[in-house]
Amino acid sequence: MNFRCIPALVAVLALNASVLADALVIVVHPTNAIELTTDDVSRLYLGRARTFPNGESAVPINLAEGMPAREIFDQRALSRSSAQLKAYWSKLVFTGKGTPPQEADSHEEVLKLVATNPSIIGYVPASAADERVRVVLQLD
Amino acid sequence: MKKSILAISLVSVLCSGVASANVHMNGFASIKGGMSTASDKSLYGYTNEWDFKNESLFAIQVRSDLGDRLSVTAQLMGRGSNDFDARFEWAFLTYELSDTMRINAGRLRTPFYRFSDFMDVGFAYDWLRVPQGVYGLGFNNLEGLSLYRTTQLGEFDSTLQLLLGSFSGNISLAGNPARADINNIAGVTWELERGWWSVRTAYLSGKVSIDAPGLAPLFSGLTQAGVPDLVSALDFNDDQSQFIGLGITMDQGEWVLISEYNRINVKNSFFAKRENYYLSVGYRFDSITPFVSFEREDHRSKSDIYQPYTPLLPAQLLQPVIAVVESQSVDTKTWNAGLRYDFHPAAAFKIQYSNEKNTLTDNRSDLVAVGVDIVF
Repeated sequence: MNFRCIPALVAVLALNASVLADALVIVVHPTNAIELTTDDVSRLYLGRARTFPNGESAVPINLAEGMPAREIFDQRALSRSSAQLKAYWSKLVFTGKGTPPQEADSHEEVLKLVATNPSIIGYVPASAADERVRVVLQLD
Repeated sequence: MKKSILAISLVSVLCSGVASANVHMNGFASIKGGMSTASDKSLYGYTNEWDFKNESLFAIQVRSDLGDRLSVTAQLMGRGSNDFDARFEWAFLTYELSDTMRINAGRLRTPFYRFSDFMDVGFAYDWLRVPQGVYGLGFNNLEGLSLYRTTQLGEFDSTLQLLLGSFSGNISLAGNPARADINNIAGVTWELERGWWSVRTAYLSGKVSIDAPGLAPLFSGLTQAGVPDLVSALDFNDDQSQFIGLGITMDQGEWVLISEYNRINVKNSFFAKRENYYLSVGYRFDSITPFVSFEREDHRSKSDIYQPYTPLLPAQLLQPVIAVVESQSVDTKTWNAGLRYDFHPAAAFKIQYSNEKNTLTDNRSDLVAVGVDIVF
């Protein structure tokens, strides 16, 4: 192994460890005053609800498959493995009953999208959330 | 299920006239191979020589959002059993009446069973194939309208589907190729889900007409012999049919239990009274899910159709009548054991052994099959 890789590797491992230990937070636009339960979040991300509990339209944004926070979200909010979710969505997609949430490739992209649209809901590690968004729920 | 660059560019070439359309392209494929272990028996289309074509399939689905709650979906599928000749398995318009109600119109899947809608998408379930004892009715699609309504009833998620349509296509009847028309199909399915549990009921009815040229000489012989009532008790001439289905699923995360039961009848025809069910139990060890299942087919032939005529008819007419009616009799028990292995986020490996016992003939046939199911 090349020596110069080690600091990078350590950094990557540290980052992963911090993400894994970190809580996830569900975030919405600062003007969106909605309160949500884990069940509400699950319904939105499984396509079972398309509005917030107050009837306003809701657009969930997922993180891309394979990102550590995505796996934690799948387990904590949806109580399913990534493979189970893939099977779940294939049932809906190939029968014209639904499409999975759009995916973002980074935490920053989620924050940007949420900050621009009161309908959008997303999630990021707690440490990544900032003043551009409002935290509705924390998933430990 | 992300849109690939290729798919986007392909679709943008195909749909260059519809610049604003939001097009999603997905697909699925199954490559399956199997063989029966006995030299003189076959099961589900497999013989004792490895066959990789029988159950393999490829499908591409294109969905285009036209805006204002209207979308169009088409699924083109090529089945190995049909030489991979691609045909439209689904093609429909969707109009969303509200966030909880949508209408689909066009060529749809007939929602007989729990897994009807995605029975070809092997990735969506753990078995190598849906239980043939229950899913083997032989026609899966219809042309018509379907209304879906999804709501929350207290703690339950409810999905109600109402259906109107018709079917016409080629089938096999008592060993004869035939043309079938089912008109006035009306149906309702209702699924309730809560936590680990899901319960589904289905009721469908329709008027069945079947034209089997191979049976025409027999029917005209009977008419000439002066027993038109027997002909109308045998043939399928706008005869009322009904399908009742029940399904229950328990998915606790590790244990997965699935069972379905159905009952089918076509009045005033020699179609046997059918009752079928299966029970399947699986256990998820992370990426490996082994399962066992048991299937039962019980098709009782309507011997009472010809019994009053046994003293009246000459043997050369009576024998073929008995043969046709009794050909509908089925009594089988099938055991399956297999596993699903999620070796890739979008692909699952499957292996399944099936052993069918035919109680009427006291025959056993078995089959081992392996395959890979992919979604993309």
